[in-house]
Amino acid sequence: MNDFAPPVTGRAVAAPVELPGAAAPQRRLDLLHQISSAGGTIAPTANPNAEHGYTYALSGDDVDRDLAFLSARNYLEARFFDRVSLCPKCDSHHLNVREICPSCRRAHLSAEGLLHHFACGYVGIPSEFSPTDDGSYLCPKCNRKMHHLGTEFDRLGKAFSCRGCGVISENPPVEAVCLTCGARNRAEDLISTLVFSYVLTSRGAAAIRRGSLFDGGEEDIVVVGAPVYRRGVILEFLDNEMRRLQRFKDVFSVLSVKCAPAALGPDGNQAPTEWLSRLREKLRDVDLIGQVGDALYIVILPQTKRREAESLCDRIEVALGRESPLTLSIAEITEPRDLAQALPGLAARAEP
Amino acid sequence: MINGFWHYFISTIDPISNLGFSRALPELSISALPHWWLVVILPFVWNVLPTLILWVVYLIKPTAIRPPLPVRPDHAYPLVSLVIAGRNESATIGQCIRGALLCGYPNIEVVFVDDNSNDDSVAIARRAALSAVRTQKDAERVRIFPSPRRNGKASSLNIGIRMARGEFIAITDADSVIQYGSVQHWLLPFDDPRVGAVSANIRVLNMPHGLLTRLQDIEYALLFTNGRLISASLDLLNIISGMGGLFRAEILRRLHGFDTGLGDDTDMTTQIRKQRWKCGFSLGAVVWTTVPETRDHLWRQRARWRRNMIKIRISKHRDQFILGRYGFKNALLACVLLLSRLLWTWAMAVGLFVVLFEFGPLYVPQLIVSFYWIFLIYLLIRALIARDLARTPQPINFALLFLYPFYLMSLRIPTLYAEASELMRIGAKHPYVPDHVWGEIPWW
Repeated sequence: MNDFAPPVTGRAVAAPVELPGAAAPQRRLDLLHQISSAGGTIAPTANPNAEHGYTYALSGDDVDRDLAFLSARNYLEARFFDRVSLCPKCDSHHLNVREICPSCRRAHLSAEGLLHHFACGYVGIPSEFSPTDDGSYLCPKCNRKMHHLGTEFDRLGKAFSCRGCGVISENPPVEAVCLTCGARNRAEDLISTLVFSYVLTSRGAAAIRRGSLFDGGEEDIVVVGAPVYRRGVILEFLDNEMRRLQRFKDVFSVLSVKCAPAALGPDGNQAPTEWLSRLREKLRDVDLIGQVGDALYIVILPQTKRREAESLCDRIEVALGRESPLTLSIAEITEPRDLAQALPGLAARAEP
Repeated sequence: MINGFWHYFISTIDPISNLGFSRALPELSISALPHWWLVVILPFVWNVLPTLILWVVYLIKPTAIRPPLPVRPDHAYPLVSLVIAGRNESATIGQCIRGALLCGYPNIEVVFVDDNSNDDSVAIARRAALSAVRTQKDAERVRIFPSPRRNGKASSLNIGIRMARGEFIAITDADSVIQYGSVQHWLLPFDDPRVGAVSANIRVLNMPHGLLTRLQDIEYALLFTNGRLISASLDLLNIISGMGGLFRAEILRRLHGFDTGLGDDTDMTTQIRKQRWKCGFSLGAVVWTTVPETRDHLWRQRARWRRNMIKIRISKHRDQFILGRYGFKNALLACVLLLSRLLWTWAMAVGLFVVLFEFGPLYVPQLIVSFYWIFLIYLLIRALIARDLARTPQPINFALLFLYPFYLMSLRIPTLYAEASELMRIGAKHPYVPDHVWGEIPWW
């Protein structure tokens, strides 16, 4: 699943734009080659000197921007790696984050467990209870000795005591001081930006085999070399079917197609083109087939009830034969809940 | 037979009888008849006369009873920390916190100490806090401490007091709601530097629920509103209610918070008075509270109050009876409370037996019926004045005044039982206090 999501705070991710110069496509293809050579995945590594604290072990200019560009065009799949907090004034990630006193706003706090003396009800921090010669403590309120934890007194969990003004706080506010510009910010005001690792997709692998990035619009819609829609496209169709279901009670079915790993090629990301073509031939014109995962495809069967879908499924299985790497399963969708059960990962996306 | 009873019942207010009574009034005024002085004059002086004087003061100078609010900029309002301690209060804690945050006072913080609830009180409190704040800075005004172990109300309040930052600390129950604009009124008596604590005007939130809650509305108007207004005017206020009390934070800290056990509000008020601070009352500081809706719940509450009164006033703080130790007023207050709460009830019962044996069995019903009507007339006067002064009780509840004496009589059952059992130390342990704390308390 693609973890690409909007940043946590209101800051927009820089839009990947085409840089001027003829070398950009070749540079991006080189990036794809490097990622493929690294096993198909590239993860960031921590680097305090980097702009956002992470860099990628890739050679080339403007790697971050190119990775975002390739990810936006489905050559790479972005997966969540980390979230970095930045100063809202200077974008620096060099922040000193600590709890502060809610009263005097100073960071001079000590974490202490509150003590509760049962006999008189006094509640205070341990330093208020003076130790005695026999190892017990003296209650500052009633001057009784407290010997046994649990029977005479108890700890009330962790609390922060301000050494400056004495205020006790169970959950003090958090403040971040920017070590670059010196700004003091509440933790809630910090900008968050997401850092991703990138995985080569089948489209990216196809581009490597082809030796160039794809230019045409068709490749953005269908999987290269296979008669199936891309994930984003098929999910749009699925959304549309769900809307029709909501408005017109137009029941439909979904045929889930899982592909055996052996059929995905040596690098595991090649589409089983031949088998998908044969599957496409057995479907009706109105049926829609698309890829939703590395080895998972779905077929939307509009206005098709379970019985019809099952007979169609039987026909397809017979036509494909026993050696087929595709495993089929049927789900009838009469309400959004059905889709959630049939394809749990897609439910949130598909519900209108 | 019914006609005969009715005639007998209303004979006390028969106009002809009363005409005769008015003619006999001068003679009665100089007589030595004990019934006249005990049944007519003493209740009038005790209950009605102070109310009448208060009303006359109100008519002459309304601002003496209802002082106007001075106009202040927002930054001139001191920080008030509202401390709420509760256990399993998920039904009411939300409205309590929202009411506090939206009460119109610009400088208030809320500290809720959850006493190890079994329900989702903490989650509801957090949700209520988030729903009532507009900015992140506002969110810091609410602090919630989920206690890892049950400690009882007094200790939970002490945790809240330790966490409170305000110059003033308000304490309410989790089933109470502060009325909009009340905190400004609540702070007014503190203009007098001798005032250490101020009681709010407690009103009944669930009044429309039924007969019992409506009768409590009358009771709260007469005793909690009017009664405390009079007591505070005489500097004889004996309790800063746990349902709504505002304290100078320095006093609570100097006293190291509440003592464990029951009756935390009575105990704290007594300690504050012993420190020679004055206790005030604010008519405009209205706090709405949820009162018991069933007879069992009400009886349990009143029995608990009465036991606390005996334990704290007579046992724990018996030294205040000593003249000169804590001032004349505190000794007077202790004696008055002993007389009015304890001895008066028992004296009434003994008096009835004396009448029974001295004048025969037929005279007792006649005396009770006469007393009922006299009490009702006094009650009507007090209720009308309370309505004029404090807009309480609700007008519709005046129709229930004739039931009020029976309501009070019924409350004597649990209180008499509580007095007897407390004096004999029967069943002293109360489930309000957890076992591990109860076993350590030296004064219970």
